[in-house]
Order: sequence, then C-alpha cells, then structure tokens
Amino acid sequence: MDSWVVAMMLGASLFLGGIALIAFLWGIKSGQFDDEKRMMNQVHFDDEKELNDAADQQKKREALKKREYRPE
Amino acid sequence: MSKVKCDHCHLVFSDTVMIHDGEYRFCCNGCKGIFHLLKDEGLESFYAKMGETTLTPPSEQFEASENFDTPAFFDRFVTLGEGNLAQVSLIIEGIHCAACVWLNEKALHKMPGVIEAHINYTNNKARITWDTKVLKLSTIIEMIRAIGYNAYPYDASMQEVRANKERKEYYLRMAVATFASMNMMWIAVAQYAGYFTGMTQEVKTILNIAEWVLSTPVLFYSGWVFYRGAYYGLRNGAVTMDMLVVTGSTLAYGYSIYITLFEKGEAYFDSVAMIITFVLFGKFLEVLSRKHAADTLDVMGKYIPSEVSILEGDAIRSVSVSEVNVGDTIIIRTGERAAIDGEVISGEGSFDESNLTGEADPIFKRKGDVIISGTTSIDALLHYRALKDYAHSTLTHLVNLLENAMSQKPKIEQLANRLSEYFSSTILFLAIGTFWIWYFWPHTFDRALMVGISVIIIACPCALALATPVATIVGLALGAKRSILFKSAAQIETMAKATMFVLDKTGTITQGRPAVVYATYHETFDHSQMLALVSSSQHPISRGVVEYLDKTESAMETGEISEANEIPARGIVGRAAGVMIAGGNAQLMEEMGIETKTVSDKSLFYYAVDGKLCATFELQDLPKENAFESIKVLRDYGLRVVMLTGDHEASALRVAAEVGITEVYAHFTPEEKEAFIERAHDEGHIVVMAGDGVNDLLALARADIGIAMGSGSDIAIEVSDIVLLNDSLVSLTEAYAISRRTYGLIKQNLGISLVYNAITIPLAMMGYIIPLIAAISMSFSSLLVVGNSMRSRWMYK
Repeated sequence: MDSWVVAMMLGASLFLGGIALIAFLWGIKSGQFDDEKRMMNQVHFDDEKELNDAADQQKKREALKKREYRPE
Repeated sequence: MSKVKCDHCHLVFSDTVMIHDGEYRFCCNGCKGIFHLLKDEGLESFYAKMGETTLTPPSEQFEASENFDTPAFFDRFVTLGEGNLAQVSLIIEGIHCAACVWLNEKALHKMPGVIEAHINYTNNKARITWDTKVLKLSTIIEMIRAIGYNAYPYDASMQEVRANKERKEYYLRMAVATFASMNMMWIAVAQYAGYFTGMTQEVKTILNIAEWVLSTPVLFYSGWVFYRGAYYGLRNGAVTMDMLVVTGSTLAYGYSIYITLFEKGEAYFDSVAMIITFVLFGKFLEVLSRKHAADTLDVMGKYIPSEVSILEGDAIRSVSVSEVNVGDTIIIRTGERAAIDGEVISGEGSFDESNLTGEADPIFKRKGDVIISGTTSIDALLHYRALKDYAHSTLTHLVNLLENAMSQKPKIEQLANRLSEYFSSTILFLAIGTFWIWYFWPHTFDRALMVGISVIIIACPCALALATPVATIVGLALGAKRSILFKSAAQIETMAKATMFVLDKTGTITQGRPAVVYATYHETFDHSQMLALVSSSQHPISRGVVEYLDKTESAMETGEISEANEIPARGIVGRAAGVMIAGGNAQLMEEMGIETKTVSDKSLFYYAVDGKLCATFELQDLPKENAFESIKVLRDYGLRVVMLTGDHEASALRVAAEVGITEVYAHFTPEEKEAFIERAHDEGHIVVMAGDGVNDLLALARADIGIAMGSGSDIAIEVSDIVLLNDSLVSLTEAYAISRRTYGLIKQNLGISLVYNAITIPLAMMGYIIPLIAAISMSFSSLLVVGNSMRSRWMYK
C-alpha cells in the first residue's frame, strides 16, 4: 500500500472530525447547551410559527436600529 | 357526579363547582381569564404543547407593579444599554413545562417594545431586553402575571456572569483537548504497532505530521491557561505547577517537531496532548468547586428593605431608604424589618432582635425605646423617628465592617500548592542536570536532549494535578449526601486543620425559639379551644405552645372559636362557646383581673377561660437534639470548643452547662465576636466559627471557616464557607470528620504520585524511557489516583 493512501485517509478523517468539532464549539459558544432541559424539549418548538416569530423579532430589532441612526 | 378537567390548568374537579362557559369548563375566574386572553392573542396552541402537565391556578395577590418603575428599583436591577434599550433579569415563577417557557416567550415577543426575551428552562431565569420609550417594566411584569405566572427581578451580578463565562471557556478548551487527544490515540496505536513490527520512515513521518497538526491547538489553545498561570507565577517569583506543565509540554513539542522534520527517533506529540488534557480536567474540577466571593452589597440588598414608608403630615409615602433624613417619621408594620435606626414615637409591640443580639425572646418596645436596623417587628405597628440616616444605621455599618472582615480572611496554603512548588523546581533542576551529564558523558546533543525532556515528561504532573481536585470532589459529594454544603473545595483542607471551634448560642447550639419546658394545668377545660386560640398567632411564644400541644396531645382537633384577636405585647383573646378565652403573658392576665402567682426566670404563657386561670406554660430556648454528644465528639478530637453569645450571662451559662462547654463568653457585640476570633488567630489557632444570625456575620467572615445554619439569615449563609442544611450539630461534627477524611485522601493521593515519580524519574534519567512507556505510565498513575479516591467514596458510605 502506498503511503499517500494513509496520508489521504488521515487528512480526510481529520478534516471531517474537525468540522464536527467546530460545529460543537459553535454550539457551546452560542449558548445552545446552556439550558439542558430546554434542549431536550426543543422538538416541540420547532415549526413554522417559531420561524415567523424569530423573523418578527429580527424586524423589530432592525426597525430599532434604523431609528437610532436617523440623523435628527 | 362527574369529574372534569379545567380547560386552563388541567386540574380535575367535580362538574358542579366548575364555571361553565359555553363548551369550556374552568375551576376559577383566573383560569378563565387566562384562557380567553391566550385565545385572543392566538396562543392557544399552548394547550396542545402542554400535554399531560397541570398548572397552578393563578394567584390574585401580587405586589403592586408600580413599584417596578421606581427609580430606586431601576438603579438596582435594570442595566441601560444603547439608545433606550434596557435589560432586566427576572425569575419567573410557575413554570412547569416546556410549554410554559414557550408561552412566556411568545407573549413577551408579541408586546411591541420587547426586543428580546429569553427564558432558561432549567433555572427559570429570564433575560428581557426592551425599549424604554415604548414600554414600561411594570407593563411587562403585568403581562407575565396576566398569563398566570409571576416574575420578580434578581440581580444578575457580575460575579455570576463572570463565573458562567469562565466555565464556558473551559468547556471549549476541554472539547478541543479531548477531541485531539482521542484522535491521537488512534494514530499512536498505529505508531506503536509500527515501532514493534517495523514501518517505513515515510509512513512514520505522515503519522507524526498528523499528530503535529492535532497537538498544536491542544498546546496553544487548550493549554493557554497554563501559559497564563506560569507567567503570573513567574511574575510573583514562584515556580508553579503550571510552569512545569508548560516547560515539559513546550519542550516536548519543539523536540517532536525537530524529530519529525529530520526524520529520526520517536516523537512525543501524544504525551504533549495527554498532559495538557489531563491537567486541564483537574483544573476544571477546581474551577467548578471554587467559591465565588460573595458580592456582599448585593446580598445585603436582599436583606435590607429597599423602601420604607414615611409619614409626611397625614400622607404615607414610600421612599427609597437612602432618601430618609434624620428626624423623618417612619412607619413599621407587623412582619417588616427596620432599615434605619430610630426612636419610637407612638405605638408599641415586640421586636425580634435575635438576629443582632442573639437574644431569643422577643423584646417589647414602647414610646422612647430604640429601634435597631436589622430587627424585625413581630406584632408591632408603630411610628418611629429616624435617629440616623441610612448610611450610618447599624446594619449599614455592619456591612461596611463585613467587607473589611472578608478581605482580611486568612489564607491557609493548600498542601498540593506548596508541594508542587518544590516538586516543580526539583524536576526542572533534575532535567537540566540530566541533560548536561549526558551531554558531557559523551553522547550526541539529540540523545542528551531527549533524555532530559523525558525526565520532565515522565515526572507526569497529571497525577499530582488530579490528586487534590479528585479527592475534594469526593469530599463534596460525601458532604452533600449528609446535607452539608461545602461552598469551596479548598475549605475542606482548611477545615481539617482546624484547632478551635467557636459556636454561637442562639440558633446554633439552641433551637433559636422558645419551647415549652414545663406545663401546669390548674382546671379542666377544652384543650381544643386553646389550640385554636394559640394557632391563630404567629408569635414565637404561641408557636412554641402549639408545638408542645401537637407533641403531647396527639390527634387533637382544632376547636371552634370566634373573634380571635391578637393584642400586641399581651397575647390573644377570643370567644368560644359564648365565653371569653385568653392566652398571654402576666400583663394580659393582670389587666383581665386574673391573679398569677408563678415566678420564673423563663418566659411564661397563661391561658384563662371565662376569667379563670386554667393553664401555665413555661418556655425556654432549648439546646438542639444531640448537642451534648456532638460537642463531646469535637472535644474528643482534641479541639478547643468555645461558646460566644450576645445574650445575657445567666442563660448562656445554663445552655453551656447543658451541652458541656466550659469556655463561655456572654454579652458580646458583633464587633467583639470578630475581635475574639482575631485574638485566636494571633494565638495561632485555625478557627471554625458556626453561627446563623446577622450578629455572627463579622465573625463568620473573619474566621478561617464560617459555618452557617441552613435556616439562618441569607446573608450569614452567603458569607460562610459551609452551610448545614439540616441545622443539626451532628452535621457539624460530620463536616469535620469528612474534612479530615478528605484531607487524608489528598495526602494519600499526593503520596501515590510522589512514589510513582520516585520510581520512574531515575529510570528516565538513565535513559530507559521511550514514548510508549511515558504514555502508559502517565495514564496509569492518573488511574491510581482516581481509583484511590473512588475507593474512599465506596468505603465511607
């Protein structure tokens, strides 16, 4: 077996593992694991309405920003 | 009669009592209101999400929500951001299920000014950001109440935020370290297999490079805390454990890069990652169990009322405590705590001063008497004139002293820290020595360097770093099982070294409330009426009598009485079966024309029916159960046991005699207690102080170990290091026993890792250590230490 096969496989698996690790770190950083009880129930709160609600909140925030930057 | 579910709270009641509303059924108007509100708001999918959970029907009684808009409140709990954005942290009451979290968030999001509302389901804490121009905080809280929950603000102190941030940072570092080390183990398996069966240099280099890639983030990201620690250690002129970890791993890392590039010998990358990972876990355990110094002012905030009612002409106005001036007339009601020192102008009643003086019996105050801040009105409704402003009142003064006392708490150095300093310097010295000897005893530079580095690596700080944290975690767990809460792991060691126990009397040795010691019945009468009468009062004396009746006359029913009326500082009168019944002190009896003859140094409670004396109770603050035995255990350990109290000498001596304490100091002010502890320090004692009241605060903070009773005042719990949740003195002795045991375990663990090093370091110096052995030895010594701690846990159930 040529050694480049070893190198390629190691590289590929470390790359994939690295992606998973980064995703996990992002999860910790953004507070997704802060509330373990809520995490287990997340499936109940994951439909269209929640998306709409999140979008509404986003709009509110943007509206506020606009108002702040308006020159008086 | 059929049973139906309330459509809001899902509790089951019989159909007849329900409120019928079309097809819906409700148990109360509160539920009905919330149900319709949710329907109108389009939030009825809440009920589908709720599933099988039942809710608590809403309460109608709340603190007036306007209070949340006062400037004093705003200053304390709200943080203002850019623009008009404000943020507040609330604790939401009544959250039963995930649907409740959903409902609260949705309801808040629907409000126009709310920018963000996030609720943590685990601890029910909410963080709300809103626009102050659009919305008032009281409106937000009213909304939460309208949907059937209650909210009150809490101070998300900087300490808590910082602690969470630190913990999160450790999670990140540990995640990286674990990921890399575990993957390296696979690569290491291939390398060791190749080491024994042979593999080409090309493959070996590939594996080395993969390990290099993996170990880099471990050393420089996860291991950053050690670099930081080593740097601060050096600046203070100390060679710390961090220093050893850093030198060992950095040298090994550099050497391994050299090996990889020049393709000779064996690389040590796996050892680098393993050392960092193991020691990082040990450090994390330490961080996890570290006490975050109490933000005293914050805690005090909860303890001192933030507002008082003052009388201006005929109007009563609530003002913030700091706005009160000397000479203002303050109104204090039943159950309220005084925030400001003053002198009574009118009205009378009893005060509970046990918090400040240790005197368990209520103190009667009338015109001209002095009110001390921090004391609580039991049954008094009176007006008093402020003699001092808030900043100069007793309680505030105590807080200022407290901060001083806490900063002067002595630090007992931990065994492991002291040891690691010697250990680290010795190892570094040995490694350098080994290198030079090998170099001049002609060997190549490579070989000499490798042997030198292997000394550092084999000295494997892993076991040493794990020795203390693992043992203390075991100690903490043992304590928790016995309702003993050690707030910080380091305190276990200090406690084990204690030489002197100082105990407060009221509430620590004694129960802190009067109990009936002697009862005389003069006539036959209906005891159930007496029970009903005394049950109607919350006065400590009445409660003592109730407790006694419950104990002696089992399954007694509460009789029918009417017009039960509490007369401040006298007792209770009522009417039963057409005759007048009365219970209270001698003064009440005298005023009713009843003669009492009993003379006693204890508190007396008389009971009379229709003008005839029927029963006399003598009450006294009794020592806790097993107090004598527990104190004997402490004395048998060879400890000096002292009792301090602010109470008068007679009762102090009586209690001391009962529990077997010979050294008693009575009539001590809080400052004198602190001074006493300081004197003990000067004599070289390591002092454990146990207390429960505000009068013990300074002493608790100053002592090496402060122990608070779970039922004690919040602030006492906050400044102390150990909390006995069940208030028992047996727990006190157990806490000491556990500490000693844990300390023994720490010593064993340190011993194990030192013995291990004594064997392996000479081998390394002679050049017998290859990377495989280094790795195995590292894991094995760590396993020994963890195993030894676990053994102790199983043996001491």
